[in-house]
Amino acid sequence: MKLLTSLLRATIPFSLSLALLIPMLDAAEKGPQTVQVSIGTILASNESDNFDPRLSKMKSQLEVIKYRSYRLLREQVQKAPWQSSAAFEIPGGRSLTVIPEGYRNNRLSLKVRLLQGEKPLLDTTVQLRNRGNFLLGGPAHEGGVLILSISATTQ
Amino acid sequence: MKMHCEEVQRSLEAWLDRELNQSEAERVGSHLLECPLCSEDRRQLEHLQDALRNSLEVRASGLAFEPFWSEVRRRILEQKPWHVQFLDWVRFTLYPARLTWAIPVVIVFLLLILSLEQLVPGWGLGPGTSNLAAVESIDGHGLNVAVFRESKTKTTVIWIFQNQEGEDEAADESAPGDNTF
Amino acid sequence: MELSDWELVQKCQAGEIAAFQELVVRYYHKVFLVVLGVLNHQEDALEVAQETFLRAYKKIKGFRGGSAFYTWLYRIAVNLSIDFQRRQKRSPMEFRETLDDVIDEREESGRDPFCSLQSKEIGKKLVAAIDDLTPDHRAVIVMRAVEGLSYKDISRILGCSEGTVMSRLHYARKKLQEKLGPFL
Repeated sequence: MKLLTSLLRATIPFSLSLALLIPMLDAAEKGPQTVQVSIGTILASNESDNFDPRLSKMKSQLEVIKYRSYRLLREQVQKAPWQSSAAFEIPGGRSLTVIPEGYRNNRLSLKVRLLQGEKPLLDTTVQLRNRGNFLLGGPAHEGGVLILSISATTQ
Repeated sequence: MKMHCEEVQRSLEAWLDRELNQSEAERVGSHLLECPLCSEDRRQLEHLQDALRNSLEVRASGLAFEPFWSEVRRRILEQKPWHVQFLDWVRFTLYPARLTWAIPVVIVFLLLILSLEQLVPGWGLGPGTSNLAAVESIDGHGLNVAVFRESKTKTTVIWIFQNQEGEDEAADESAPGDNTF
Repeated sequence: MELSDWELVQKCQAGEIAAFQELVVRYYHKVFLVVLGVLNHQEDALEVAQETFLRAYKKIKGFRGGSAFYTWLYRIAVNLSIDFQRRQKRSPMEFRETLDDVIDEREESGRDPFCSLQSKEIGKKLVAAIDDLTPDHRAVIVMRAVEGLSYKDISRILGCSEGTVMSRLHYARKKLQEKLGPFL
């Protein structure tokens, strides 16, 4: 009888905890609803030794690409629902389209397309850590090259 | 030698309280048998003592042991030092029948740990905490493309070698070739 | 075989609360009587009597058996009662609350409330007369008249000489006799 009472007593906090936890798990199951995509457009060149202080946080990353000068041309942020595209204008008549495809094991899958006018230059699918970034570089621009820092954050 | 009343009066209370030695007590006793005045004083003192005892006994007669003791015991347990109280609590709580609470607590705790991975992105024990991006597929549409991953700075770079087609205004200068990476 | 007080004390000192319970069984009523005699107030007496045993439990490890357990216990009880009385500073009238109730209850239940008292009146007079004594005098007369303790024990309990005990007893008796004169 005592054991039964104890069991009954124990089920109360258990039930309450589950009642609180189920909506949380439900929300977790559905996952983040949108993705914030950020593009930093950087001009890298060898014309000077200037390093844009706004890029100080990613200095070590940029140093992988051995140019002497780095300047942030623009920053763009867009929110995109899953499976929807976010389009960004890139200097030199180019454009970048990013489609968040899915989220698994704390990593986002991004489909990225770089276009020169209507002509596709690159199609790639990248798995990225949430709030992480990767660099896409190479297109020539104003005596240097463009480097795009692409990052994504779930919302 | 017979005692006088004055002497007896001085010793009467001590005689009543049995504080006299045997010979003195006997002498006072003898006097009391013979002296009605001292005997009356004795009676009054005894009566007073009885009245006092009886009145207190009556007032205390309703005092039951059980409630008295349970209150004392409660206070004793309250007053124990913290480490003794803690040990008492541990003994009480770890009584097998009471351990049932631990099962749901452990379950809920594990569920919370597992759900935190989902609820708080970036937190957790799961895989994929590296910043290094993984390139699943890549298509340069005829252009040369290189992928470089640098673990020290956790950097992933996709590089497009665009100059080979010579269509860009600064193609000859921008070719990173061996300049990059 | 019944254990002596000292044996029970030793068990208490070893942490046996059951032994302490046995000591409470033996002395709770006596302690309550003494405290009631000093405080002359039922509820306060209960509170102080319980506090007495709590203090005794806390201090029992320091009890070395130099005196009888009951004198040690009564000393705690009397000291607590006197302290309590001084802290409370009740007016004498406030002490008279319970006796009528107690007597009425006993009469209703068909018992003679005072076996050897002439009447209910003498009980009331006695309570009022006790109120007029100081706590020290009450303590002495209660321990002697109710508990039958020797002058020596009382002097140990109160921490005074036997002569002081005798003079306090004499004073208290005289005062009570004056108040109760016609009823004795």
